[in-house]
Amino acid sequence: MDAVTQRVLEYLTEVEEAAEDVLTTKQQIVDLDKKRNRNREALNALKTAMSDSEKVKVCFGTMFIRFPKSKTREMIQKDQEQLDKEINDLRKGLKAKVNRLNEIQGRPEVRGYNLSPLSTDEIKAIDNLLKR
Amino acid sequence: MATTKVPEVRDITRIERIGAHSHIRGLGLDDALEPRQVSQGMVGQLASRRAAGVILEMIKDGHIAGRAVLIAGQPGTGKTAIAMGIAQSLGPDTPFTALAGSEIFSLEMSKTEALSQAFRKAIGVRIKEETEIIEGEVVEIQIDRPATGTGAKVGKLTLKTTEMETIYDLGNKMIDSLSKEKVQAGDIITIDKATGKISKLGRSFTRARDYDAMGAQTQFVQCPEGELQKRKEVVHTVSLHEIDVINSRTQGFLALFSGDTGEIKSEVREQINAKVCEWREEGKAEIIPGVLFIDEVHMLDMECFSFLNRALESDLSPVLIMATNRGITRIRGTNYQSPHGIPIDLLDRLLIIATSPYTEKETRQIIKIRCEEEDVELSEEAHTVLTRIGMETSLRYAIQLISTAGLVCRKRKGTEVQVEDIKRVYSLFLDEARSSQYMKEYQDSFLFNETQAPPMDTS
Repeated sequence: MDAVTQRVLEYLTEVEEAAEDVLTTKQQIVDLDKKRNRNREALNALKTAMSDSEKVKVCFGTMFIRFPKSKTREMIQKDQEQLDKEINDLRKGLKAKVNRLNEIQGRPEVRGYNLSPLSTDEIKAIDNLLKR
Repeated sequence: MATTKVPEVRDITRIERIGAHSHIRGLGLDDALEPRQVSQGMVGQLASRRAAGVILEMIKDGHIAGRAVLIAGQPGTGKTAIAMGIAQSLGPDTPFTALAGSEIFSLEMSKTEALSQAFRKAIGVRIKEETEIIEGEVVEIQIDRPATGTGAKVGKLTLKTTEMETIYDLGNKMIDSLSKEKVQAGDIITIDKATGKISKLGRSFTRARDYDAMGAQTQFVQCPEGELQKRKEVVHTVSLHEIDVINSRTQGFLALFSGDTGEIKSEVREQINAKVCEWREEGKAEIIPGVLFIDEVHMLDMECFSFLNRALESDLSPVLIMATNRGITRIRGTNYQSPHGIPIDLLDRLLIIATSPYTEKETRQIIKIRCEEEDVELSEEAHTVLTRIGMETSLRYAIQLISTAGLVCRKRKGTEVQVEDIKRVYSLFLDEARSSQYMKEYQDSFLFNETQAPPMDTS
């Protein structure tokens, strides 16, 4: 293999790796959101069904364990917070990864990407203008 | 990406009329900023196009703001074409405002107000809106009404994306807004997490059936991908002038539509400047200095020039591009002579690009491009004749003849414009030189010829 082919190959590998990285992160977000939604369903079920004194069956991996209801709720809530945080972190990281991919592919950077968002009040004021 | 695209509804494609510079698509430069002889509707003027290209790069990088460029050259040498080329290659994101020098003389507002509105139209502010939304296809919607008819309704909403599916418990409020939006199974909806606002994007493709009786406005969309709970980020670009207008609405909200905004108080402008600067410091906004193009700049008077001088110093200032076809002439409103009719102190701040007359080959090329633009077929001889006319009279006159000759040709049911057609329109329509010749010959038979005034001061 001559030098040029080698370089092209290296470049393509780099692009593919970056793209793969983006896809994995996306999938990870989806998986975490899946989990988050299941937890939310569980919390709803705990709120409505059954009295507070009863114990509930919680599935840990392959095993069902009877667990006090309040403890379970606490546990799931903690899990939710953790999930929210993780998803946020992944999203933040995803931006950098997409930017990197665009950069090595020679595509223009997405504009206004790293602005921090306006507050809701400010958006409301601007909305008047945007919804002409 | 967590961001989603809200499908844009495009109505009928706009039918553009053919204008004098509608064939210009850009500056016609390659990646190394070297001008190509013929490209993107541009022909010749290599040096000035290259110069414009350098300025364009600087504008794009945001390096120059508050600078001014003057495009100077004889009439019909492509000054406006270069400005249009710059506008086209800046892309849709950079604001470009064009106005003619005489436009600012209006009774409605002062000259400086008109100028400062134009300045502020040419500065864009980029802001971002971020919302958490839940987006998915409705699989099932189930609402239980209490038997008594009163009391709280409860319900369940099942949403799915291509990857996942989940059930939401619904409260009274959500049920109300769902039934108000007439949401049913098979709809693709988004729910704004912060406000709880529901919007229907359309029906899912999987629910499309041949026999379904549908309204014409039913839109079919793909089932969304990825996670249900997404973050949507939208970046808007607005001009400073637009923000000014909303904040100074004395005549009610109609002001934006009629375009008749009257004068905007300088306090309002200052407040907005302060707010925008605050946003910029907080990382909430980016300022995009755009381009303000003033054609026929010699029509401005001394007041305007001194205003420009001052306005260019401000930190929120766009790139100013001016064009003129005057040589050394009187500055409007004074008795002083100055190059291009622009005061020396302003001239000193300008980068000047000169355009030169087109050669015969270039004229030929431009006529060819215009023929394509106006959908006129030209025979080889007719093309040569037209080029000669363009060289001897003016390029504009030759271009006028294209469409008129095209009409004559169509009248005699020909497909290609022949030399005869050109001859015919050439005899029908006078060019500037022949017209003045005619005037001189038949001066006596026109009205008011007896007032032999001293020769007009044309300097």
